Amino acid sequence: MNRLTQSLVLVLLGGAVLRITTVSNEYLNYVKPGFRWFLIAAGAAVLVVGAVGLVKKEDGHRGPWVAWLLTLPVFAIFLIAPPPLGSYAARSEEAPARPVGALTAYTPLTRPVSEMTIGEFLGRAWGDTTKSLAGKQVRLTGFAVPSKQKGQWYVARMQIACCAADAVPLKVAVLGWPAPAENQWIEVTGTWVPPKAGGPEPGTVAPELDATDVTEIPRPIEPYE
Amino acid sequence: MPPADSGLKGQPSFGHWVFVAVLGLLLLGQFVYAPYLTSPALQTWSTVFVAICVQALPFLVFGVLLSAAITAFVPASFWTRALPKRPALAVPVAGVAGAVLPGCECASVPVASGLMSRGVTPAAALAFLLSSPAINPVVVVATVVAFPGQPMMAVARFVASLVVAVLVGWVWLRFGKGEWLRARRHHEHAGFAEAMRHDLLHAGGFLVVGGMAAATMNVVVPREWLNVLAGNLWVSVLALALLAVVLSICSEADAFVAASLTAFSPTARLAFLVVGPMVDLKLIALQAGTFGRRFAVRFVPLTFSLAVLVSVVTGMVLL
Repeated sequence: MNRLTQSLVLVLLGGAVLRITTVSNEYLNYVKPGFRWFLIAAGAAVLVVGAVGLVKKEDGHRGPWVAWLLTLPVFAIFLIAPPPLGSYAARSEEAPARPVGALTAYTPLTRPVSEMTIGEFLGRAWGDTTKSLAGKQVRLTGFAVPSKQKGQWYVARMQIACCAADAVPLKVAVLGWPAPAENQWIEVTGTWVPPKAGGPEPGTVAPELDATDVTEIPRPIEPYE
Repeated sequence: MPPADSGLKGQPSFGHWVFVAVLGLLLLGQFVYAPYLTSPALQTWSTVFVAICVQALPFLVFGVLLSAAITAFVPASFWTRALPKRPALAVPVAGVAGAVLPGCECASVPVASGLMSRGVTPAAALAFLLSSPAINPVVVVATVVAFPGQPMMAVARFVASLVVAVLVGWVWLRFGKGEWLRARRHHEHAGFAEAMRHDLLHAGGFLVVGGMAAATMNVVVPREWLNVLAGNLWVSVLALALLAVVLSICSEADAFVAASLTAFSPTARLAFLVVGPMVDLKLIALQAGTFGRRFAVRFVPLTFSLAVLVSVVTGMVLL
């Protein structure tokens, strides 16, 4: 790989990173929102290093062959435009994940319909001794995942700590409503179904929600919790 | 004297044609291939792959920048003054110094390489390489946050990681041979920009190799397999240590994943946290690329086995 090609690869890579952080919001499919400015800085730095190499006409060293691989993420970004992790990633793990950093104090729910994250719902369903969810209408936002059990499906959302490689699926089983298309984003309104005595231990199966309304919505800009 | 394949004037070289082909594929692909690239498995793979690359890029750029700055601006005499003369003492000092570089493992490889090229004892640079992604303040805080009510997890992680880093450094000092480490190909005259561009292309390429491997394992290995292994102490420790290797999660995020692996004992999760920043697929690719294959085949198994052993001992004492 000669100097000009090296520079072009760097320009391409920096450009791709700048594209997904400034022109579009695609970076949210891969990392946390707080990462944006680091990515812009890094993308700009790579672009500048490449551009400087294009302008400065001095003899450089032959670059390593492995640098060609840097075009692969560029290909992936432009050709596949990887979507946020969805039903395929959420289904590959049947056991529901425990939400991270769950609340320790559960404030009573006073609104007629309380909107909450799926993580908060799981925390209240599994860890709240005061049973603050009992009898309360809640609204959850997520995408639909088919279930192997009859008469139910899941509303799910991935939780990421840093990037999509560390995503864990948070899932709530929805009862009493026909399943929407797989991966369809939805708002589910309903009430928690407390587990029956003698059933599986809390935290080992997804908690259940008796749905009273399911609305299809467009995919949120920030796909992860 | 321009190199034979300069390409800036005269005949376009082979590399140019490959590059033109790449650009052509990119443009054509938007219309021709994109509709076919929709299988859920491929899309999940590509999301995880791009996520690993994108997430690591700022750290890599930061590490490369720091490394280039060390090479270009810090005189070699600084390190001989800053570190103890005796290499056996320099190793633990470098290990503790890892606490000041707030980055993940992608940053530490180029920095350690830069340190070596400035005359720092390889064993000390390696101790720094291993400790800095595991014991820096950002990672410690992330671990405390991920394990609410269990502050001993962060303490155990700090202690075990530092011990492993220093032990590996000492073993390398005693048994390591200089010829196993590939010398940096930098010429002495290579300036800041040249060093940065070389490292970026080189380390970046190997980061992509590791990202591909990690994304594949992430999609292919179902995690419920793991829960079967959770019962036995050694089996569970080895299972999570290997999981840390294949998942290649950034050290600033791995505590959150460890926290979600509730079926496992705290000791097994500690092994996940200690092994992950020191040995994982993207790091192996980066290390093999930076220091050479002969280095990696010795360094990686040594680090892995010491990390597992120290985690078990630390887990039994502290957790």
